[in-house]
Amino acid sequence: MGPAGVERHHEPPYRDIPAWVRVPGLAVRIRVPGRRLQRRVAAGAMAAGVVVTALATAGLLSAGRPGYVAGAPPPVTSAPHGAWVASAPQTAAAHVPRPVFLTIPAVGIRTPLLRLGLTVTGALQVPPTTALAGWYGGGPRPGATGPAVIGGHVDSRAGPGVFFRLHLLRPGDRVYVRQADGRLAVFRVTVVRSYPKARFPTAAVYGPVPTPQLRLITCGGAFDWARGSYLANVVVYATLLA
Amino acid sequence: MTHRARVRLVSRLLAACAATLGLLAAVAPAAVASTAPAVGSAGYLRLANLSPGAPTCDVYLYPVGNTHARLVLRNISYGMVSAYHALPAGGYTVALRKAGLPASSLPVLSSTISVSAGQAYTMASLGPSSDPRLELLPDTRTTPEGKALVRVIQASLGQRRVTLTAGRHVLVRNLAFGSATSYAAVTPGSYDVRVTGKSATAADRETWAAGTTYTMVVLDGAGGLQLECLTDEAGSKTRPAGAAPLGFGGTAPRPGSPLWWLAEMAGGGLLAGGGALWLRRTRLAA
Repeated sequence: MGPAGVERHHEPPYRDIPAWVRVPGLAVRIRVPGRRLQRRVAAGAMAAGVVVTALATAGLLSAGRPGYVAGAPPPVTSAPHGAWVASAPQTAAAHVPRPVFLTIPAVGIRTPLLRLGLTVTGALQVPPTTALAGWYGGGPRPGATGPAVIGGHVDSRAGPGVFFRLHLLRPGDRVYVRQADGRLAVFRVTVVRSYPKARFPTAAVYGPVPTPQLRLITCGGAFDWARGSYLANVVVYATLLA
Repeated sequence: MTHRARVRLVSRLLAACAATLGLLAAVAPAAVASTAPAVGSAGYLRLANLSPGAPTCDVYLYPVGNTHARLVLRNISYGMVSAYHALPAGGYTVALRKAGLPASSLPVLSSTISVSAGQAYTMASLGPSSDPRLELLPDTRTTPEGKALVRVIQASLGQRRVTLTAGRHVLVRNLAFGSATSYAAVTPGSYDVRVTGKSATAADRETWAAGTTYTMVVLDGAGGLQLECLTDEAGSKTRPAGAAPLGFGGTAPRPGSPLWWLAEMAGGGLLAGGGALWLRRTRLAA
């Protein structure tokens, strides 16, 4: 490229470049594309800008709201129906010893069990520590006919609680409850569900059922930082095998 | 395509979209209302031989349209009640055969039933052995707060009419052979339950817990009458109110700073504005 060429570039097609990119010196090297292509690029830039702005606005609006907990369970998991299991005889509540220890190998849960009652407002009392789970003493004992309930915290303010991995359970997983006399009640997970706390299914969880069953409850879903509580409850339904 | 034709096409598309949305909005509540409150797809069934004098039998349960029995209970004699069996909701055929006869033989009794998810039933053979019938009794009832529910099945042919009392309460008066009462609410506690027929009587002490439903079965026994108490369903004595606060948020993602989003909004706006300006210039130039 000789001096003559430089001379020719003193009159670049400036008009087609928007003012805000018209940097002196730069124009020499920019090969100005055809008008149609320019128009396409401009339209593309505009569209991209609109999309980015919209996404950013949505992001800003939702930033005040709680985010999603990674790996929260899908809303509905239905149970597969396996082979026939010899039915357990009906067992009167009085004959089943109290539960003392819970083991769920599939998700690495091992915890002694506390006895839980009700709060003054009539809600389920929760364990005073996030490291231990508890069973609801106002319901049937695990292994007796009816819905036995075990609750545990998903986390503390500092980190994971005893039921942090509860939502990872899947139908078919085994749950073991050691009773005070040393015997083991074995349950099979049938359903894992997550419910908004405002629509907690009291009848399905605590209502009467004709066979020995177990419900494991913890928190899940999104965390509401303004109220300091999770917005959902995860409920694992299980049924007695032996 | 002329401008007017294009406008017409767009307005038609919009109208179609609006109609579809309206239809969806109308259908959605119906779809929600039709879902059962039950969790999972299982219903529950137990089988009872309450036909006095009937021979010992084998009970077969077939899903409708299937010749392979899902469940076979053998040697069910008078007075026997099975445990509940969980079954996928759907239609079933119950067939009773004389104990030991092959599955290919003609059943003595058969009936087709429908099992709903979350519901429990007792399938009972009732009536005299000369004319037995199969009856499906629904067992699922929501117990009133702090109460127990009790029902009576009269399966004594020796005493055709019986009166059942629990303590000072009369549960049922002159209940006829082969019939069942509906559930009645009783205060939880221990009761001296007494059954009285024309020429026989029997008594038993039963403890009925809150949130639980029971069936008292009146049978012909060695001494004339016999009482059997079955637990149908058990719930919690007191149902805790609402959800449980079982987390403190220590593992929940923290909300981010809004600055990042504001910066992104500004950048996006700049890009869109610049693009628009450029587009306008190229148009003007053209």
